[in-house]
Amino acid sequence: MKKSIGEQRISNRARVLAFPAAAALLTGQSLLGRSVSAQENATVRLTGWTSSPAEQTLFEQVLEDFKTANPTIDLKYEPITGDYPTKLQTDMAAGTVADVFYVDSILAPDLMASGQLLALDDLMARDSVNAADFYPGLISSFQLDGATYGLPKDFSTLAMVWDKAAFEAAGIANAPTNWDELKAAGQALLDSTGAPGIVIPSDIARELAFHYAAGGSVFNEDGSAIVFDSPEGAAALDFYYGLYRDGLAATPADAGAQWPGDALAKGLAALVFEGNWVFPFLQENAPDLDFGIAELPAGPAKKMTLAFTVSFSVFSGTKVPEAAWTLVNYLTGPEGMGKWASLGLAMPSRTGLADAWIAEFPERQPFLAGGEYAAGWQLGVGGNAFVNDANAELQGLFAGQQDVATTLQKIQKAAETRIELSPSVETASPVASPTS
Amino acid sequence: MAIALDRKRKRSRNPIVAEDRIAGLVFVLPAMLVFGVFVFGAIIFAFYVSFHDWKLTDRGGIWALFTDPGKTWVGFDNYRHIFGNPDFWTAFRNTSWYALGVVPAQTLTGLTLAVLANQKIKGRTFFRTAFYFPSISSSVVIAIIFLWMYSARGPINFVIQKLGFPTPRPVWLSNPNGVLEMGLNGIGIDNVPNWLAGPSLALLSIMMLNVWTTTGTMMVIFLAGLQNIPGDVYEAAVLDGASRFRQFRDITVPLLRPVTAFVITIGLIGTFQVFDQIWVMSEGNNGGPFRTTTTLAFLVYLEGFRQGRGLGYASALAVVLFAIILVLYFIQRWITSDKRHG
Repeated sequence: MKKSIGEQRISNRARVLAFPAAAALLTGQSLLGRSVSAQENATVRLTGWTSSPAEQTLFEQVLEDFKTANPTIDLKYEPITGDYPTKLQTDMAAGTVADVFYVDSILAPDLMASGQLLALDDLMARDSVNAADFYPGLISSFQLDGATYGLPKDFSTLAMVWDKAAFEAAGIANAPTNWDELKAAGQALLDSTGAPGIVIPSDIARELAFHYAAGGSVFNEDGSAIVFDSPEGAAALDFYYGLYRDGLAATPADAGAQWPGDALAKGLAALVFEGNWVFPFLQENAPDLDFGIAELPAGPAKKMTLAFTVSFSVFSGTKVPEAAWTLVNYLTGPEGMGKWASLGLAMPSRTGLADAWIAEFPERQPFLAGGEYAAGWQLGVGGNAFVNDANAELQGLFAGQQDVATTLQKIQKAAETRIELSPSVETASPVASPTS
Repeated sequence: MAIALDRKRKRSRNPIVAEDRIAGLVFVLPAMLVFGVFVFGAIIFAFYVSFHDWKLTDRGGIWALFTDPGKTWVGFDNYRHIFGNPDFWTAFRNTSWYALGVVPAQTLTGLTLAVLANQKIKGRTFFRTAFYFPSISSSVVIAIIFLWMYSARGPINFVIQKLGFPTPRPVWLSNPNGVLEMGLNGIGIDNVPNWLAGPSLALLSIMMLNVWTTTGTMMVIFLAGLQNIPGDVYEAAVLDGASRFRQFRDITVPLLRPVTAFVITIGLIGTFQVFDQIWVMSEGNNGGPFRTTTTLAFLVYLEGFRQGRGLGYASALAVVLFAIILVLYFIQRWITSDKRHG
């Protein structure tokens, strides 16, 4: 049970791993004035979270390749099971944090602004690692004032996943492509079974996709003000919550599931909005389920989805920056990332690998297509604290404690309180440019 | 005072006693060191941090607080912000409901169970063990089991459905609606003010779990108290023709007063510090549905570790929590003190 709580949290934050591998054995060259000789037999500590034992096994295989290619680097992999952000932060305060660690895009602004991450630009330039080889919307999540503080290891987007048998039983021929069709499909599912067919969480990490699709934003054009509370935002929230209010949708908890993907696997949901992390989960928990995938239905303003990414970043206080960079470069290099992505957990963050990935997983095309217009899951410094507040307000709305207008006002206020405005904050920038 | 001085003189004159004292000190030294560093050191450090604007992720880590304290020093700012922060009052209200529900419930059930388990009945040892068992189990494990029991397709909803009652929507631990508010709405009173809404259904669910786990501890303490009451008092009462109930009311309860005071004290402290059950049962929600299970101790965690206002602010919150508990302790001690009752 504990494990599945963790899984829920992990899935919400799109913690799906992808690990690349490509060797670039660095010979000692002094960086940041640190001793070179120490790097030849350097010990590099790597930490991250892991959402399942199977995933950890796969990752350890990639790490074995790294060890073979880099015999002089003593790699110590120390995954954190449980409360990753808390452990990471306390380790940072004590100065004992690993040399290389995962950074979730929503947390990246806080860590970049606090100076905990090492700028990688010099090392990237030396080894001809080109930032333009990564999807611009992904790598920009780890850039601040022109410096790069991490390389995205992979990404995931939200798409619509549905149970084909349930759709057939309800007489839905085609996947809904806009909000009206979505509502009609929800009604058809409700009519056919008597229970809500859609499962949505009261979570801003889902609602925000609808918010953007309705034409709403979080920041104004130059990033100098919060504009969450807008007519577009009201329309989006009214639609999202309306699915629940009108009985077309249930929350995972009400359906008796840990998260929407779990509800789909248990047959408690016919339609959910989740990321590509549902694949390994469904394969393991509902191997016989025949499901379809499509891009999120377009909103009144545009097609929109959210993209979740995680970087490999280097601790600014590391004693072995060279060896740490060697590891990051290996794990985000073309060869290794291709290898990791081919394991099927998440999509490669290098544009050059998209074609190979789609050739291998043609049915997952909607996830990659979403990358062409997705907004990155990032809300500036303080974004993660804002997410906690916003979720609380959404829960109040779903439980009937407050109406849509009040909820919007309170989310707006939470954003104003929590998020440190800076003109460099990007607003709903596309994650990926079309490649295939 | 004279006696103490006298004793001291005697000690210093006796070389064997002096030697014993040194040996005693040496034996307790390791424990004292550990205690000093990890308990007193941490407490003093928390006071120190509460006067700083400091986050775990700030550059330089924990050492910067000592090497360059002027940079982060903010005096009483953290404390000033606490009382203007609605989150604090929400947490204060949640914690108050929590204590108001849990302390009386666990004290009364603990006393009842102790009286029952003190009877000369068959299987007495079994019952004592069974009642005490939840107290010695891991609170996290128990919380996870309850998490499953409260889930939409869990046994509690199953039983309720079988009995023909409607199950709550949102389901138990996701339901932020106040239970008093629901009750008042049920009898036709609408627009219940916030402070009268009562604990949310989610918080009530956790309160019931807490009562279940701590009752055993209270029972054991009451049992010890009961066995300290001399039997001849009851014998005299029986000779005077006192009924079982009179014996309980006029002998057991008054003679247990110091024990009751102790039980209420540790109950109050425990409820105001509750964290682990809250953390397990509302972690995904980061403080429960609509913040209704955010207790003061949990707010400390949210502000300190969840990218809130940082550890300086969280430490100030912890100090305020400490002060609240201290005040409650003195109030409670005054109420239950023997002097007040003559």
